[in-house]
Amino acid sequence: MTLTAFPSPPPGADYDDLRQEVRAFLAEELADFPPEKRAESWNGFSRDFSRKLAQRGWVGMTFPKEYGGHARSALERYVVSEELLAAGAPVISHWIADRQSGPLILAKGTEDQKRAIVPRIAAGELCFCIGMSEPDSGSDLAATRTVATEVEGGFRVNGTKVWTTYAHVADYMILFCRTGKSDDRHGGMSQFLIDLKATENIQISPIIDLGGEHHFNQVVFDNTFLPSDALLGEQGEGWSQVMSELAFERSGPERFLSSFALIEELIRLLRKDATEAQQAEIGRLSAHLMVLRQMSRSVAGMLNEGKNPALQAAIVKDLGALYEQDIPRLARSLLSRPAVPGGRDSYAAVLAYTELAVPSFSLRGGTREILRGIIARGLGLR
Amino acid sequence: MESMIFDMAERLFRDHVSHGLREDAAAGQCPEALWTRIEEAGLHMALVPEEAGGFGVPAAEALGLVRIAGAHGLPLPLAETLIANAVLARAGLALSGGRLTIAEGEVLQLERRGGAVHARGHLTLVPFARWADRIVTIAALDGADHVLSLPVKDLTVTPAQDLAGMPRDDVAVDLDLPGANAAALPGSMGGMRGLGALVRSLATAGAMETILKMSVEYANDRVQFGRPIGKFQAIQQYLATMAGETAASRTAAEMAADSYDTAAFALTVAAAKSRAGEAAETVGALAHQVHGAIGYTQEHALHHFTKRIWSWRDEFGTELDWTQELGRAALSSPHDTFWHFITDSTAQGATA
Repeated sequence: MTLTAFPSPPPGADYDDLRQEVRAFLAEELADFPPEKRAESWNGFSRDFSRKLAQRGWVGMTFPKEYGGHARSALERYVVSEELLAAGAPVISHWIADRQSGPLILAKGTEDQKRAIVPRIAAGELCFCIGMSEPDSGSDLAATRTVATEVEGGFRVNGTKVWTTYAHVADYMILFCRTGKSDDRHGGMSQFLIDLKATENIQISPIIDLGGEHHFNQVVFDNTFLPSDALLGEQGEGWSQVMSELAFERSGPERFLSSFALIEELIRLLRKDATEAQQAEIGRLSAHLMVLRQMSRSVAGMLNEGKNPALQAAIVKDLGALYEQDIPRLARSLLSRPAVPGGRDSYAAVLAYTELAVPSFSLRGGTREILRGIIARGLGLR
Repeated sequence: MESMIFDMAERLFRDHVSHGLREDAAAGQCPEALWTRIEEAGLHMALVPEEAGGFGVPAAEALGLVRIAGAHGLPLPLAETLIANAVLARAGLALSGGRLTIAEGEVLQLERRGGAVHARGHLTLVPFARWADRIVTIAALDGADHVLSLPVKDLTVTPAQDLAGMPRDDVAVDLDLPGANAAALPGSMGGMRGLGALVRSLATAGAMETILKMSVEYANDRVQFGRPIGKFQAIQQYLATMAGETAASRTAAEMAADSYDTAAFALTVAAAKSRAGEAAETVGALAHQVHGAIGYTQEHALHHFTKRIWSWRDEFGTELDWTQELGRAALSSPHDTFWHFITDSTAQGATA
């Protein structure tokens, strides 16, 4: 039963020197960054911060040096990632590119694509978004209707993408769409690398979430022309390319640290005098965190060895979402202190922000139900 | 070495630990012949360092035997004997052979009487005491941890059992121990509660893997409404939840095993035992839900495993004990932030 085995990260995976360097950098860069901004977790956007981080060599860490990367291990990247998240640093500007788009381009892109794009990702200059979901294709990705039709010199794209996070500021999109007919439900799909700033006939409009935040967008392709060299990877291989990204997308520390600002606020208030019941709840929260972190580091170790731990990643994401979604309930059970959006009391403000954020955690990146279906099949259900 | 000892144990347990053997053990019959095979294979010495007569398997790997024993529902004190021998070896006491068990010794009153140590008190829920030759325990004497090796023949044992019918006996202690049976425990192994919690966490993870496997097989085989029940999404969600809890428990237990005999152990074992105990609730409940009424019978093997994981929650510290300990450490830590506490105190080479 290998699905329940998460090999220990290799000895030395703590990289304490690197960790201390990142902490020193964050202490300086985020000295005046308030808890309610940290609560935004990896949804916080700052091109300036991403560029400074890149100058330290902490973006594109695992990319080869010839493409502007630093040839470091997935476990070193892990240390930087978790320190950024634990501090609530604003990382989304480079996060998606660093996590999955860069690795995808390196794995499937042409030499020209790699040379043109990857060094700029590693410099923290490029923000990527992912054009995946559609109005009639959410969990059922194979129901994708957006289509790219081959024309002279390239493709014409028609269709609508939704929930496209940060499309309104992104430089590039990786689009998933149909390029042909296939008897196989998963066939006839392809991926494209789209320069959003230089492509005409793409209409991006905001979808405001229930917290009043603008992260999502609707992206409409209206006979949009893409040159042939926008194709990313093999035509018709989009499905398997997307599946190979999932282990990167689903296993990282962002899958259980999204509510971490609230945990720090809660513990700050409980430190002075906690009852035994409060101690036990904080102990439980600590135990779960230690274990999730170990599982997530284990997956990073497997990725580092070139394995594809997609099933283990699904387990990390399922357990991680339960954990980060439970934090507001836990906080409310330990402290009688109301949530106040934008309140002056930082605990109240962070609680309010987090309460409104958590419903999305088991939707984004694969819903809970889809993940559990994947896990069940991985167990050998026929 | 790892795969050799694992393969040997796996084969031994697969061939000899049957449903019938578990039934007989629960009815009070010690499987003597199986223990002889375990000793012949040398499994009971796996956690003893090479210089003390072991065969030099890294501790984390030797402890892996406990998970395998849990996966087979082994009704013998192998985990206890592994720990007892390791503790005796560390204290420089003789390894006498035979079945050994362990107990938390803090309840014992110790005093020096001439060249001997007098121990008096009452140990409860001692695993397999009536099937064991010696109880090995750790207690404070002159302000330092000492290992005591108590011959069961000189103690008063009153039988009691856990939910799974395994011996968990009451033991009255009132005897003089010569220097050969009492010595200081150097190093960072900690008390018997942590060591016991470690092996129960590992065994729980192993038993859960078996419970999960049985549940998947049942969901594939059992047909209702014209199809295997595993085709229903509700059942798939249960099984996936069980897999997550099982994976978390195993990872937690192995994290604690990795830090065995280091400074990080105090916190990793607290996380492991409390996480496994919490998971035992969910995994046990869902396994029975998937199996339906047949899984609730004596005839079906499932109960041997679910009753074990429920029992093990209560030994060597409950979830409440361990989460309180961990919470106290988190809330009183000198680290600037909770995050620094989590990362620094569980890192390899952690000092506090």
